[in-house]
Amino acid sequence: MAEFIPLYMFAAVCLLLMLGYPVAFSLSGVALAFAAGGMVTGHFDMAFLHALPNRIYGTIINTTLIAVPLFVFMGVMLEKSKLAEDLLGNMSRLCGTLRGGLGISVILVGMLLAASTGIVGATVVTMGLMSLPSMLKQGYSPSLATGTICATGTLGQIIPPSIVLVLLGDILSTAYQQAQLKMGIFSPETVSIGDLFIAAIVPGLLLVLLYILYVYGYALLWPERAPRESRRIRAGELLPVLGPLLPPVLLIIAVLGSILSGAATPTEAAGVGAAGAMVLALAKRQLDFRRLREVMTSTTEVTSMVFMILIGAAVFSLVFRGFGGEELVASLFERIPGGVFGATLVVMLVIFFLGFILDFIEITFVVVPIVAPVLMAMGVDPVWLGIMIAVNLQTSFLTPPFGFALFYLRGVAPASVLTRDIYRGVLPFIAIQLALLAALALWPGLITWLPNLILH
Amino acid sequence: MPSPTLAVERLIRALEAVTRLAGAIAIGLTLLLILATCAVVVMRYFLATGSIALQESMSYMHGAIFMLGAAWTLRVGGHVRVDVFYRGASPRAQAWIDVAGGLLFLLPLCALIFWLSWDYVLSSWAIREKSNEGSGLPYVYLLKTLLLIMPATLMVQGVAEILKNLLFATGRGGAHVGEKVEPL
Repeated sequence: MAEFIPLYMFAAVCLLLMLGYPVAFSLSGVALAFAAGGMVTGHFDMAFLHALPNRIYGTIINTTLIAVPLFVFMGVMLEKSKLAEDLLGNMSRLCGTLRGGLGISVILVGMLLAASTGIVGATVVTMGLMSLPSMLKQGYSPSLATGTICATGTLGQIIPPSIVLVLLGDILSTAYQQAQLKMGIFSPETVSIGDLFIAAIVPGLLLVLLYILYVYGYALLWPERAPRESRRIRAGELLPVLGPLLPPVLLIIAVLGSILSGAATPTEAAGVGAAGAMVLALAKRQLDFRRLREVMTSTTEVTSMVFMILIGAAVFSLVFRGFGGEELVASLFERIPGGVFGATLVVMLVIFFLGFILDFIEITFVVVPIVAPVLMAMGVDPVWLGIMIAVNLQTSFLTPPFGFALFYLRGVAPASVLTRDIYRGVLPFIAIQLALLAALALWPGLITWLPNLILH
Repeated sequence: MPSPTLAVERLIRALEAVTRLAGAIAIGLTLLLILATCAVVVMRYFLATGSIALQESMSYMHGAIFMLGAAWTLRVGGHVRVDVFYRGASPRAQAWIDVAGGLLFLLPLCALIFWLSWDYVLSSWAIREKSNEGSGLPYVYLLKTLLLIMPATLMVQGVAEILKNLLFATGRGGAHVGEKVEPL
């Protein structure tokens, strides 16, 4: 029975996490309790934990991860300086007369905002506070409005430069090297964050396009549930509307472009992006000492939160390994019928359900290092796997009754919006997500084509 | 003779002073990190030079941000929770969960990291460990000391949180998770 201890540990963590104590410490606390028990009964060797200081130090000196605080700063600055709100206002004036125009502008702004923050909770809450009232006021049905906002909020994970893609890229590249070493390849290829960013573009834009088509189609079929603005925009009004739209859009494009073209490392681009966001806020007269301090404080808090989860997950995975968890997972995978396809499908299902209790960051740090090397050794492409995980989790976060995005939106939605409306509203978007997942599985080229084109 | 509650509250304030100090340093470093990154970029792309010491300083700042900021983040309730049930629980039940979690999960973790890192950090101090790069920063031993400072400060704030929640749960006042936290 001792060989199943890693599974019991996993189950215990999932259960105890539900109590609500911070994830980073629950993960490591449960693992330590198991380690202590294992040492008493002779199933666990303390030596495994001695790798911990070096792991933590490795995180400190990992130059790619420096992009995390910098991107967080950029996102928080854009959000707090009300740039996003202006964006939405301008965009909806621009698209207001189109059928479903307001909904479409919410999707477009969400995409840009997502690209700048990359944190689900932040995007859903911001979009919810910003756009839900105006959508309801204009007569949008609550279910269409909330569904659009939830779905758009989860875009942050897939649209680069998202923070989770930075973290996922780091983990995948380690896993990929492990897998190749096990296969006897001693000059392993690597996966870079740039690879993941590029690979995410086509699936991300496809999603945005499908969302827009859905909202547009809905507005055609039920115009009364997605009314448009009656007033047409005159040509003379176009400039003042378009003008303020440009700077933040250009900033995000510049940051992305410099990473994708290989001109700058993600860290450099993020640093310049953070400085650029400050300049934009300053130009808008939205930056004073107090706001700067707020942005710096919340950057510190988000960064600490992320890296404490990383450390908690490191403790968990060391104990998991000490109990023979890696061998257990590998042997379980061999028993799954259907070879690579079967194993990948099972992993995707497990991740989907884990998405109900764990956020993207935790899954990246806890689950991916366990399953990814095994899958890659079976021949799964690392970049494809990364994007599949991202879209899969995005779907998970939308799925009632546990999806994260739904909770976040429920938290900021007025009482007049029923929880049932939110659930009903996200269903079509879940269908879109599943369709995209199936398409990505059938035609992996949708993911791998662009990176191959640009990088080779 | 002051009441025990008052004494505990005074202790909490003293513990949190440590957290504030560490947090203030971390928060200040975020802006410095951006400036350093921009300096590296300007040097590389416009002046075609580079400074290994400056690049390494980015890692120092990055590390210090989250290692020193962890305790502050605990104080403001910034560590993410699975709040499916927690959110719906009564404030008193939440406080008890935080007391139990602090005692059973947080404090043992801090003790373990501190204990495991002790020799690791000391051996780095013994040789005044420098960067592997000739022109790098000669302060690797200071950077590694973060491995002791993080668990120590987190433990200090962890004790403060446990005390606060105990006061709250037993109806003796005290602030509850992240409430009434004034900004730095």
